[in-house]
Amino acid sequence: MAGRRAALKAIDWVAFAERVPPNQRTMFNNLKTRSDAISAKLASLSEKPPAIDWNYYKSAVAKAGMVDEFEQKFSALKVPEPIDTQTALINTQEAEASKTAAAYIEASKARIAQYEKVLDKFKNMIPFDQMTIEDLNETFPETKLDKVKHPYWPHKPIAEL
Amino acid sequence: MNPKQLILASNIQTHLCLQRHLLVTFFKTGALLCSRDVSRGFLVYPPSLRLFAEGHAEAETRLPSGATTRHFHPSNMLSRLVLVSASSLKGSGALGAGLIQASRSLHTSSQSLAPVPPLPEKGGKVRHGIIPEELFQLLYPKTGVTGPYMLGVGLLTYILSKEIYVINHETFAAASIGAVFIYGVKKFGPSVAAFADKLNEDKVAKAQEVKDLAMTSLAQAIEDEKKEQWRAEGRSVLFDAKRNNVAMLLETNYRERLHMVTNEVKRRLDYQIALQNLHRQMEQEHMVSWVEKSVISSITPQQEKESIAKCITDLKALAKATQAKATA
Repeated sequence: MAGRRAALKAIDWVAFAERVPPNQRTMFNNLKTRSDAISAKLASLSEKPPAIDWNYYKSAVAKAGMVDEFEQKFSALKVPEPIDTQTALINTQEAEASKTAAAYIEASKARIAQYEKVLDKFKNMIPFDQMTIEDLNETFPETKLDKVKHPYWPHKPIAEL
Repeated sequence: MNPKQLILASNIQTHLCLQRHLLVTFFKTGALLCSRDVSRGFLVYPPSLRLFAEGHAEAETRLPSGATTRHFHPSNMLSRLVLVSASSLKGSGALGAGLIQASRSLHTSSQSLAPVPPLPEKGGKVRHGIIPEELFQLLYPKTGVTGPYMLGVGLLTYILSKEIYVINHETFAAASIGAVFIYGVKKFGPSVAAFADKLNEDKVAKAQEVKDLAMTSLAQAIEDEKKEQWRAEGRSVLFDAKRNNVAMLLETNYRERLHMVTNEVKRRLDYQIALQNLHRQMEQEHMVSWVEKSVISSITPQQEKESIAKCITDLKALAKATQAKATA
């Protein structure tokens, strides 16, 4: 099981915090507190437990063979590593999130294209003081007066004046 | 478009590029129009408009393309020509401008200039309010500066003396009305113009505001979208953090297990040692108490009497010694 010490990636919490949108800030804070608690707990435990002084016990314990037996069994003992059940889930979550993010980015790009189109229209339009009414109606179709629906001046319902 | 119309348009254009006609030419072409127009229908751009257009440089550029004369009805053209010729001697900038407007609105062909050039800010230059400057420029080479004035005075004199215009009551009424009118215009003209301009400017300013607001909000929206995209890119860090957490938990658990094993083994060994110690202690104590008990029980009564007598004699001797010491 070589994956015992899966290398812990250094996480730049500051940069991470910058990327969090404001409506997810509480979730981010919760995550951070949990992560900090976990890493503190990890740091408090030493990597290897202190070795047992077998010689002292050999001399101290009167029962013959007991210490030897313990020593034997102890060194033969293999502590099983805890099984990782969550990483696969996390990976699937990540894949899903990537997909949704890609879709969102696509939609966002489409929106940007739309905005840019309208922005270009605004940038390239002729200045107002050089426009005629026809130009105005071309540039802003909503200003066109419907002379068929309202044939009499002012060509729009009085309430909209 | 009809090729004839095209050719005509180009003809007219070349006409425009030539030197200005004198008033005489105007009458000639006017006569020409009357004869030609009826025969050819409405293919001709009325020269009246053309001449007026000469005074307005911007309108010149519009004329070549505006040859869609389907709006021109022969009767219209002739009546307009009559009107125009009647007033043309005195000249009327306002009417010319109005006609220019008419010509501009006839721009419905696809051959019109694009982008349409902006309207002139001011009307054609006029002297004394109604006489176009072009007349003076026209006559300057031949008659100098005073030419048009002389023309005007001469015409006036001619009209009055020959009684082509008869002075009557209406003359005085016209004069008074004219005076009041001119006074009113001179006094209130600028303020009214400023008011009207302000109305227009307000409209334009409002539209401009809307446009600026729209542009800034669009730019802002684009920025926000880009920011959101950047944010979305940071999602991998979240999952790294989660995986880290999981790894840390696993590691912690493993270490806890190791520690637990060691501690348990140690506890058992220590228990054995403690047990041993306890045993020894108990044995020791028991032995000591047993020895004491046996010693005490071994003291016989005979021995006890002897020890008591010895004690008494010892005490007596001790008392004597101290007495002697005290008196000495």
